[in-house]
Amino acid sequence: MIYEVFARKARGEPLRHIGNLNAPDDALAGIYAYNTYDEEKWFDIWVAPRDRFVEVYNVERGPVAPVDRAPTPAASRGGTSAGATVAS
Amino acid sequence: MITRAADLPADLREYVHDLILVLADTKRLLGMRYAEWILGAPELEAGIACASMSQDEWGHGRLLYALLKDFGDDVDAIEHGREPSAYRSMQALDRAPVSWPELVALNALADTALSNQLEALTASTYVPLRQRVQKILDEEQFHTAHGRAWFTRLARAGDDTRAELAAAVSRYIPDVLAWFGNESDAARAFRNASIVDAAASDLRARYLQSIAPLLADVGAGDAVTSIEPDWNGFDESTRRYAGSAPDEETIRRIRGDKNRAFLMD
Repeated sequence: MIYEVFARKARGEPLRHIGNLNAPDDALAGIYAYNTYDEEKWFDIWVAPRDRFVEVYNVERGPVAPVDRAPTPAASRGGTSAGATVAS
Repeated sequence: MITRAADLPADLREYVHDLILVLADTKRLLGMRYAEWILGAPELEAGIACASMSQDEWGHGRLLYALLKDFGDDVDAIEHGREPSAYRSMQALDRAPVSWPELVALNALADTALSNQLEALTASTYVPLRQRVQKILDEEQFHTAHGRAWFTRLARAGDDTRAELAAAVSRYIPDVLAWFGNESDAARAFRNASIVDAAASDLRARYLQSIAPLLADVGAGDAVTSIEPDWNGFDESTRRYAGSAPDEETIRRIRGDKNRAFLMD
């Protein structure tokens, strides 16, 4: 599973996307993020599975309203304009 | 509070010295074992984790070796001049793990044992040691988490993998349990002077408690808790059995023998 990694330099700063990684579960994703993105001193680091991101709006396609989508399980999403996939 | 090695009571000085060397050598060897898996781990991220853990262990080793200077030791000779038989690293680390389940077992069992021993020094009356232990333990949190996460993952990956992991556990665990040491007069004096906050048998019990969920994962709980370490030939000062030593090639690489000629200073 692909996880997106976010971090910030100091308390109160916005979270910044710093990369992604492969991990089988949340626990290892967190450990891998800590080991992989340790070149800088972070205030905090967060990970989230890429397939849990929900696309809301795209300048070319317009609004992608979540309400229009059928409530499908995360695993079957992706690929279509309604499926949320964050580009890496 | 004791701030200099010279201020340690004579009967304890050697014991503290030996403990520091045991911890430092174990960290150095463990760092080698992780480093050997930077290439070849099942996923790139696990290789990076091995690189990171290896770097941590070597750093901790350095920090601990440096403490020996105050005991009058030549730290450079200790780091780069010793034969394998002079190493006091944990015996479970003598051979390189030949499979990923073995590496995971070492990560989950040997690294955790080392951290349990260090935790018993967080309130040590020997200040130089106490001051370094917390930083080491902070970094170790991710080693423990990595070992546990992978151990659990392998234990649930299927019968063959689980059996391989269980075999690695039974191969390593007797040496790891013995490593905490026997109840000797010196060990009791050590405990009474609050250099360490628990006797060897208490440390072993704490350790067994901390790894109990892992042992349950491979169905080894009862078999392991009933192990009584064999003290025949066990040396309290090296925490190893007489006649054992880490493999030659690993020590040559640690010393940097092959490229020593390029040291220009």
